[in-house]
Amino acid sequence: MKIGSSKSEAMVLDWKTGTCPLQVHSCRSEMSCTKTILGASCSLCMLSLRALLAFSLCRFISGYSEKERAHNLTYKYPLIDGHNDIALQLRILHNNKLSKINLTHLNKVATDISRLRAGHVQTQMFAVYVLCGAQQMDAVRLTLEQIDVVRRMCTEFPDFELVTSTQELRASAMNKKIACLISIEGGHSIDSSLPALRMFYLLGVRSMSLTHSCNTPWAESSSTFYDVFIRHNNSLTTFGKAVVDEMNRLGMIVDISHTSWGTASAVLKHSKAPVIFSHSSSYTICNHSRNVPDWLLHELKKNRGLIMVNFYSPFVSCKSEANVFHLADHFDHIKRVIGAESIGIGGDFDGGNSFPEGLEDVSKYPVIIQELLKRNWTEDELANVLRRNFLRVFEEVEGVRDYLRWKKPSEEEIPLQEVENPCRSVLQRPSLRKLSSNQSPSLRAEGSLNLLYLGLVLLFSLSLPG
Amino acid sequence: MSPRLIFIPCLALWISCCAVTLAEEDPYLIRAQSLMTETPLIDGHNDLPWQLRKNFNNQLNKVNLTTLNTTHTSIPKIKKGQIGAQFWSAYVPCDTQYKDAVRQTLEQIDVIHRMCWAYPDTFQFATSSAEIEHAFRSKKVASLIGVEGGHSIDSSLATLRTMYYMGARYLTLTHSCNTPWADNWLVDTGSEPSEHNGLSAFGKRLIVEMNRLGMLIDLAHVPVKVMNEVLEMSKAPVIFSHSSAYTICPHKRNVPDDILAKVHQKGGIVMVNFYNDYVTCSNTANLSDVADHFDHIKKVGGVDIVGFGGDYDGVTRVPEGLEDVSKYPYLVAELLRRGWTDENVKAALGENLLRVMKKVEE
Repeated sequence: MKIGSSKSEAMVLDWKTGTCPLQVHSCRSEMSCTKTILGASCSLCMLSLRALLAFSLCRFISGYSEKERAHNLTYKYPLIDGHNDIALQLRILHNNKLSKINLTHLNKVATDISRLRAGHVQTQMFAVYVLCGAQQMDAVRLTLEQIDVVRRMCTEFPDFELVTSTQELRASAMNKKIACLISIEGGHSIDSSLPALRMFYLLGVRSMSLTHSCNTPWAESSSTFYDVFIRHNNSLTTFGKAVVDEMNRLGMIVDISHTSWGTASAVLKHSKAPVIFSHSSSYTICNHSRNVPDWLLHELKKNRGLIMVNFYSPFVSCKSEANVFHLADHFDHIKRVIGAESIGIGGDFDGGNSFPEGLEDVSKYPVIIQELLKRNWTEDELANVLRRNFLRVFEEVEGVRDYLRWKKPSEEEIPLQEVENPCRSVLQRPSLRKLSSNQSPSLRAEGSLNLLYLGLVLLFSLSLPG
Repeated sequence: MSPRLIFIPCLALWISCCAVTLAEEDPYLIRAQSLMTETPLIDGHNDLPWQLRKNFNNQLNKVNLTTLNTTHTSIPKIKKGQIGAQFWSAYVPCDTQYKDAVRQTLEQIDVIHRMCWAYPDTFQFATSSAEIEHAFRSKKVASLIGVEGGHSIDSSLATLRTMYYMGARYLTLTHSCNTPWADNWLVDTGSEPSEHNGLSAFGKRLIVEMNRLGMLIDLAHVPVKVMNEVLEMSKAPVIFSHSSAYTICPHKRNVPDDILAKVHQKGGIVMVNFYNDYVTCSNTANLSDVADHFDHIKKVGGVDIVGFGGDYDGVTRVPEGLEDVSKYPYLVAELLRRGWTDENVKAALGENLLRVMKKVEE
């Protein structure tokens, strides 16, 4: 049986009943007790007190049962999260020295192995991010260093397993591992080089966001913080489209979080494969430029892509503080606009320092699921949000790769004038250099020999009579 | 018509044909060609990727390696030369150091991969001794990657590791420029100052990491001080991917006798470079001059440390008789003519390099 079928996955994951022993049904009957009216005054008081007690108990039980339901659901459909910045924290706090830390229990960060397990995270896309200040300087080297630290983390700690395909991802679930996917956060990492993109793919990178908070020479960011590569009406240049084409050919997921709306729209029109917002939320709920307006959600829907909701408070409530209700509003809104089948989760933990109350770290994912259950999201919808939607998108990206297997690697180069800078070496002008004679020694020797023999023959013939 | 006028041209023509036939029936050449079907010729260094970059901007779609005739290397020449395995050089100029050396190196690694993908009937990408042997049995040219110059890693062990993951299996510690952690061979000529007196502390840390990874340490292009330091501290055998014998031609790119002895003790290999300037220390050389280097290294260091590192397409002056990569069998024939046994030749062709790789892989 093909491992990739969701049916086989459901069979091999442990399955517990999602029902609480004291069913809502029971609580409904308990709650129905509250509707009983007694005649006598003392009895009325007693009854009211009893009713109050019963109501509180029902609320507690239903709350408890929803919490358990949420945990059971995330256990049954363990989460694939679209974006986590622990690799950045490893660099900032520990200089990537994994040998000096305990990744099972790590302080000062929101992510470690024990909390990923507690949050029922089965697959985490770890972001490889380098600062925009490195663009056109040593971004490529820094990116390699971050890829290296994620690879080491995912191969040296037995709880993790580095995966590069949907098949491997599903297998890691069967093996009870936390699957690691690698994503690059920002097209400046490739230094406008398709070969560099290909080599990153070879290293296991399976997703790239086209920008971070700076424009690249070929794509626009949603942020105007960096005053570089400003263009008008050219959100995705010819080379930018070549980048998207090559990502489609390779089977690398195109991520449009952090891009401008113009770039995102251009990508959605151009890409042959579904694309993702790996960690973005709804602009209607919180009008931050990092979020996605409804019209762009509709374009995403046509593309069959995915928006993985970001938990970072300033993107959730547009303030420095938020709570689970604010966050759930994003899920509700996006579902209203384009349906639950287009939604995923991209927490962005360790990429910022302000997360909603009750959702402070990666162990807290069930909290949002609990709130969505209260808001009548079905198990099927939540299973899709938790993992199935991402798997569908990733499989479709792989399908496009297979469809394009006839295509040769792109040799597109960015025009020099779009990218010229002091740190970029200029290639020599092409010239064809002729080698010295290719005459083979044996032929040359044979030629000499021929002449010698001819000379001898001539000498001989001259001596013949007549 | 006088019989003489008919007889003379016919005789001349007949004698010419005999001469051609005789040349092709050189028993040493026949023996060489036979041995090269049994043991892969593994050449340590070829700069075709650099020619592809310089001449074609790495646009393989605009090049046909089966008809290319402006380089030392092409597919027909490779086949005629009976190359069994080739380390393709991922080289970027020293000018790129502290600029975009890393990205350009990735581009060279990429073009080698693409070359293998574009010509799957000829090339088979390889990263181990086992894969070389497998490719040889499949009658393909095993294609490996060597990064030529420590400036390519921008002083980053992580970058070294990722290049290993991309398939690179040797790093030449320097090209013709000092890195922040190693002096280059020009220091021995006096034309450049020593900055590190050999290897810095970080340079030594790099050697440890290369041993741990199983990456071959290439000492072509390094000064004698670095040769000694690495030979002292490396736990694995080391290579000279394209260097010749200093005693035969006292060029600072070549290997002195005392180092040859140390290479022997370490179980390493010196893969002879064919560049005229390193063969005869002059602009001209011939096949016999190259064979002299093989003889000398065999005499001083033992046949177990001898190998081939032609440096084709990385140099402009190559010996008469070895004008391009199709000529390897003639050199092998010359070795046989000089009394090398079949075992000696097989060791030099590929068994020595395979031994070194297997040891490094441990």
